[in-house]
Amino acid sequence: MQTFLQYTILGLAIGGSYFIAASGLVVTYTTSGIFNFAQGAIAMIAVFTYWQFRWGWNWPAPLALLMVLGVLAPLLGAALYQVVMKNLRGTSEVTKIIVPIGVMLGFQALATWVWNPTSSTPRQFQKFFGPNAFVHFGSIKVSWHEIIAFVIAIAIAVGIRLLFVRTRSGVAMRAVVDDPELLQLNGGRPERLAMISWAGGSFLAALAGILIQPMIGSAMSAGQLTLLVIDAFAAAMFGRLRSLPRTLAGALVIGITTTYVIAYFPSKWTWASSFRNSLPMIFLFIVLIVLPQDRLRGATVLRLRERFRMPSIRTAWIAGLVLMVVVFCLKVIMERTAVNTLTLALTFAIIALSLVLLTGFAGEINLAALSFGAIAVIVVYHFGTTGSGSDARTTLWGILLAAVVTALVGAVIALPALRLRGLYLALATMAFGVFVSRMVLTERNERDIFGLKFTIFTAGQLTIPKPKIGPFDFNSPDAFLFLCAGLFAIIGIGMVYLRHSGYGRRLAAMKDSPAASATLGMSVVRLKLSIFMMSTAIAGIGGVMMAAQIGTVNSDRFDILLSLSLMMITVVGGIGYISGALFAGIFLIAFVQMLDLTLKKFAVDYSSIEAIFLFFVSVVTVLPATIGITMGKNPSGAVSEILNGLDQIKQSKPLVITLVGLEAAIWALAATDVITNWHFVILTMVNLFIVPVVGGKVLLARAMRGVPKPVPPELVGIDRPFTFDDLAEMDRALDLEGVVVPSAGTVREGATGVSA
Amino acid sequence: MSETHYHEDHGAIADAPLLELVDVRAAYGTIEVLHGISLSVPQGSVVALLGPNGAGKSTILKVVSGLLQPTAGEVRLAGRVVNGAPADELARLGLCTIPEGRGVFPNLTVRENLWMATMSGVPLADVEEIAYARFPRLGERRKQLAGTMSGGEQQMLSMARALSVNPSVLLLDELSMGLAPLVVANLYEIVAQVSQEGVSILVSEQFARTVLGIAQYAAIVLHGTITRVGTPAELEDELSAAYLGS
Repeated sequence: MQTFLQYTILGLAIGGSYFIAASGLVVTYTTSGIFNFAQGAIAMIAVFTYWQFRWGWNWPAPLALLMVLGVLAPLLGAALYQVVMKNLRGTSEVTKIIVPIGVMLGFQALATWVWNPTSSTPRQFQKFFGPNAFVHFGSIKVSWHEIIAFVIAIAIAVGIRLLFVRTRSGVAMRAVVDDPELLQLNGGRPERLAMISWAGGSFLAALAGILIQPMIGSAMSAGQLTLLVIDAFAAAMFGRLRSLPRTLAGALVIGITTTYVIAYFPSKWTWASSFRNSLPMIFLFIVLIVLPQDRLRGATVLRLRERFRMPSIRTAWIAGLVLMVVVFCLKVIMERTAVNTLTLALTFAIIALSLVLLTGFAGEINLAALSFGAIAVIVVYHFGTTGSGSDARTTLWGILLAAVVTALVGAVIALPALRLRGLYLALATMAFGVFVSRMVLTERNERDIFGLKFTIFTAGQLTIPKPKIGPFDFNSPDAFLFLCAGLFAIIGIGMVYLRHSGYGRRLAAMKDSPAASATLGMSVVRLKLSIFMMSTAIAGIGGVMMAAQIGTVNSDRFDILLSLSLMMITVVGGIGYISGALFAGIFLIAFVQMLDLTLKKFAVDYSSIEAIFLFFVSVVTVLPATIGITMGKNPSGAVSEILNGLDQIKQSKPLVITLVGLEAAIWALAATDVITNWHFVILTMVNLFIVPVVGGKVLLARAMRGVPKPVPPELVGIDRPFTFDDLAEMDRALDLEGVVVPSAGTVREGATGVSA
Repeated sequence: MSETHYHEDHGAIADAPLLELVDVRAAYGTIEVLHGISLSVPQGSVVALLGPNGAGKSTILKVVSGLLQPTAGEVRLAGRVVNGAPADELARLGLCTIPEGRGVFPNLTVRENLWMATMSGVPLADVEEIAYARFPRLGERRKQLAGTMSGGEQQMLSMARALSVNPSVLLLDELSMGLAPLVVANLYEIVAQVSQEGVSILVSEQFARTVLGIAQYAAIVLHGTITRVGTPAELEDELSAAYLGS
């Protein structure tokens, strides 16, 4: 009985803290329509800042609290809204999800930079009034901290409820979600309300973090804290991101069950602790299953800022060939380690292709691509290899089996969420990703599953040999490099074929308007399910290739944060483009690694100013997230920018010849060892960036002098404004007579009719 | 402000204008949709914007209400140029806009919807009193979510705002959209009453006959220009040809 009460109270306190974090999510989602994935990261930053004030600099607790909760957290939230989130109006759901994820990854990197986790002094975070402040109720003792946490949670529940119902500002916050324009017409200020709500949401996140940290009792860890508050997502979902009472109920249930697992599961159940950690995610998944179907919305056609062009099939084949040639040329001049990096980048690019297929083509979101890769790797490890030692090879059948199993697992994950909006599918995949990390990849003990002795993740690492397909052995690094490049090209070309097929057009239609598609007789759920399965199968194949390239993988390789980074960078590259996936792989693996290595080399070479280079090494860790955050400004991605630039260049033959000629010359110099690879990279960058920019300027100047280039009739009104001369021109072309064409600015007398 | 001079330009409208548009141009992205609109709304009168779909009527109202920045020209409210003023500021200055469709917040109750109207400075009690007196149906449903009411009731709710905030200018966009003729007639009766209280009203409408019954002036909008301005009697003949003809 004593244990029961003790753990119930602890559960209520932890649940209360989950609720505080979840209520912050509800507040920001309610006013800005953005699901703040960075909520956990904000909590984490607040915890570290509080630690710094309270124990790092020995400030008194009230002052530290006032500073963190009263000043810094609200400022951070308001700034986030003003600088980042405000720009997300009119962007697609993917962008709205990716940008907060960018913020989350940025804070994560920032915290590891400022509060180095490997530093020697352990950071202790204590409960309020110290670790020994208890109240005794009969035989049980309860810490003051737990009481405070629970009471604050209830107070906040009541307070927010009152705010949203009893105050005009609160009601206006709800009105912003319905119709910000109408609120403005009423005299309200939607932007200011949204900013205030973000300040409030950030305050709640910080409060939750400071309350939770001492109760979970482990050392402060940036990653763990970030993901811990993600557990609050489940509670927020239970309230459907709207109802606060239900959110509170959900949070308390999660808090109590997790503590009961610790209290009552027999200690011989070695999986109890992983189970406890993944319980909120299981809970989230169940909530998604029981949530009622979302209404199909088609009444308002959203005008999105994203625009993607799909290459023709011919262009796709040419691009595939060019890729192979470029990879060959690079291989000739590259060192062995660089070849390995390039191969790894290509395997990530294959995984990113699965995201392009799912998000770019169908508008659905998968945040745990690498977790599906992990499933495929487990399948290949157990069933897909032949031989042993250096003769071990992955078989074709193993890869295919892995793809099939991954697709089936994908179907099981996606099925409950497919009835719902994109955000819910994104959360379901994220729940799956965290579940895989916490539950599956920690399985190192032999289990007796249906009479089959089985260890899922043997010794914490799996060895995947290089594949051998028929007579072709891909064991050598070069052969495997070409396999990966070829695989990327083939899957990419296949996707272009798919996009041009009837199925692809149905996908595009569904992405634009699920409601309209449904009224045309399409089964939206079947369409979503099939594309999700296809996408996860590709992720699986990519995962196997990645593992085969690395050789021996541990569970870190499939971390959810890595999946999120990959998704983010793919969106940055351009989620609608095959080349966006290539960009993601190259950027995330090769480019970041190259910068990192170069800067570290410089730090050694020029040890007197070592600190400067090490500073930039840290900057590099924050770089991908920073780029992700800027997505709101240019939601179509970098590839789109590059393509627009290329269009300019293609106009001018001399420029193309200069560009290709210079590049060939640089390559020849590198191949004959006249210049080092390092110079090759620098010169290539200069060539690829400077020549188009200078050339573009020249072209522009010429265009200014000459006649404006004619716009094809179908683009009139899109590429340049529609004028009355156009109308007249059209009427002439169509032989229409007597059609009214008033010219601009003049008042016409006696209108006789309007063109039908 | 050279108001007199301006009247001479627009002989048809001779009273002192409260709202004026001078050669206003507006664009969505690169596509210009208003090609120089000039129009005056005199104090206490109803001016109707008539024209087919896509003519630019709603865009004119969007520009006046501050939701869309004009690319050229001037919008003057009581003689002051208000280009670039945000919509919420104009609303607090006494410009009341009932947008196209239903001007209500669907997930707020009737009472909460009325509460939002108080941002222009009128106390909630007054707003409620006026609204429920005029539309007793709203009084019965004050705790109901606006989105669950019928189209007519929603339009009543948005009209109730216009009645209670005591505006100096009222902008109405397609009041009749999707409503039964009887309801429309009823709503326009109210519009007429509001104008008699001295409110200047600019209304865009496809139901020409109904609105011409209460309007002092009408402007025909075609392809983003005003092709004709006059009293309903003057426009009678042209209407069937220019507008109903489509």
